[in-house]
Amino acid sequence: MIISTGIEELDKMIDGGLRTGFCYAIKGSAGSGKTVLSLNMTMGALKKDIPVLFISTEVDPEKLVIYGDSFNMNLKSYIDKGILAFEKMSLKPKGTSLVQTDKFDLSAIIARTKSKMDELKAKLVIFDSISAFFAEFIHEKTARSNFMDFIREITDNDAVLILTAESQISEEYSTIEEYLVDGVIRIRTELKNNQLIKRISIPKLRSAKPINFENRFIINRDGVSILRSEQPPMTLIQEEKIGIEKLDEKLGGGILSGSVVLIETDGETNYFPLFLQIMCSNLERNKGVIIHSNVHMYSNRIVDEFKRVDYDITPHLNEGNIIFIDKYNRSVTEVEAREMSQLMTTDDMISVTVELMEAFRKSEQKVTLFGDLTDDANILTESNFLRYFALQSFNVKEQSAIAYSFINFNAISREMLARLRNTADTIIRFSREDYTTYIECLKSSTGATFLPKVVKYKDKMPLIEILD
Amino acid sequence: MSMKIIFFTSPTCSWCPYLEGVLRNIIANIEMLSLEVIDVTKNTEKATEYHVVAVPTIVLPNNQRIIGSVDEAFLRRQMDQFLIKGS
Repeated sequence: MIISTGIEELDKMIDGGLRTGFCYAIKGSAGSGKTVLSLNMTMGALKKDIPVLFISTEVDPEKLVIYGDSFNMNLKSYIDKGILAFEKMSLKPKGTSLVQTDKFDLSAIIARTKSKMDELKAKLVIFDSISAFFAEFIHEKTARSNFMDFIREITDNDAVLILTAESQISEEYSTIEEYLVDGVIRIRTELKNNQLIKRISIPKLRSAKPINFENRFIINRDGVSILRSEQPPMTLIQEEKIGIEKLDEKLGGGILSGSVVLIETDGETNYFPLFLQIMCSNLERNKGVIIHSNVHMYSNRIVDEFKRVDYDITPHLNEGNIIFIDKYNRSVTEVEAREMSQLMTTDDMISVTVELMEAFRKSEQKVTLFGDLTDDANILTESNFLRYFALQSFNVKEQSAIAYSFINFNAISREMLARLRNTADTIIRFSREDYTTYIECLKSSTGATFLPKVVKYKDKMPLIEILD
Repeated sequence: MSMKIIFFTSPTCSWCPYLEGVLRNIIANIEMLSLEVIDVTKNTEKATEYHVVAVPTIVLPNNQRIIGSVDEAFLRRQMDQFLIKGS
């Protein structure tokens, strides 16, 4: 049996609708619209006279009915008709104190859910949300592993089970529920040009090929509406040259546009020749360059360094092909800038960058982004920094631009580096040992990697030569 | 004054028989306590009424709950707490 989600576009995205016997997860960050979407699905089934059991772990049923009212969903009428029931399930009822151990199973929620399902003859069960539910357990691991029985028992009853789950914006690891469920509906919110944009995608769908694009959606008085995507599929994205001959060759021709390149350096290695060389080659191919300035990478220094190697970048500056976004006040000294609070918030910086990328795109110029992230990583909180990196990477992908992010790997934690590496499409390590500089590729968007190669610096363009 | 302890169990719960035995042992020696055992698969109304999600769950008269199996010494300490408070 196939149950419509009540949203035509979403039905198309999940191969026609929700299949009984299947379990789906709606994953999204807080406030992204998981509950509204699940209420929308509830209405979709109810309109076809399919009974629904809605299990809420955080919100009281009365509040959900009022919440539904604000989206023109008259849930009360279906409760009265006897085809909808809300059930609150949480580990700690009001006014009780708990002692917990890890020797338990979840047969009580299974029994309660099955009995309620029988009473209603429910074919759709919504569990909102498993994250809030698990959070109440001290022994969360035991609860999660026992939850598999719940999924199995409910779906075996020839019903659809929908779980909602919270995800973090920089989450790269799939959580257990993603392995267990048959389909994942992912929703997320991002900031773009100071607007919050909501997107929906299907990263996993058993028995059907998942679609590789995201659609935008809006939440208005009628609940969720999905707008068709205008983005091209991944295969249309072309390959681009980095601009260092040997490097491009070793990477199998270049890197894909839309790539985020992480260049890891140790604090002692001078990455400027590499940076200037890549920038110069981009400018010569008539690409726009945006530089996020900071105390290591700023306009005066870049102009001076180019002068030192007899390369004239004034024409590019005059044509407006190079734009500096100065997040910190450059009229003060470097030390002061470090200590000063930021003049521009990170969100401001991202939206300015997006506007500039769009402006370049309108004049049919491709864009390359450069930035040294080391200071941001130390100034911002870890979660803000990762969010910033994830948002920037997203925008780079969407605009089919390329971003080169330099970072001193000795100045950040291993965990942070691991997460940055996960988000980056290409990782290049640039380091020094006994007066010799090496370049190494750990990961690339084309799949090619290579072991450390010796780098030779030169005084004139090309500033870098990679020896075999 | 008699006080009731409710013990929620299920046939699939591997920890429950042990804990039920321990519980019965303790209660046998305390006159003022009685025990009600509820199988959540048979009496879902009661499970819903007491908002039980996991088994074994012991609902003590002082609104305290023990979720998951514990050993006898621990259970005795928990009981003593409310018996002293209650008396």
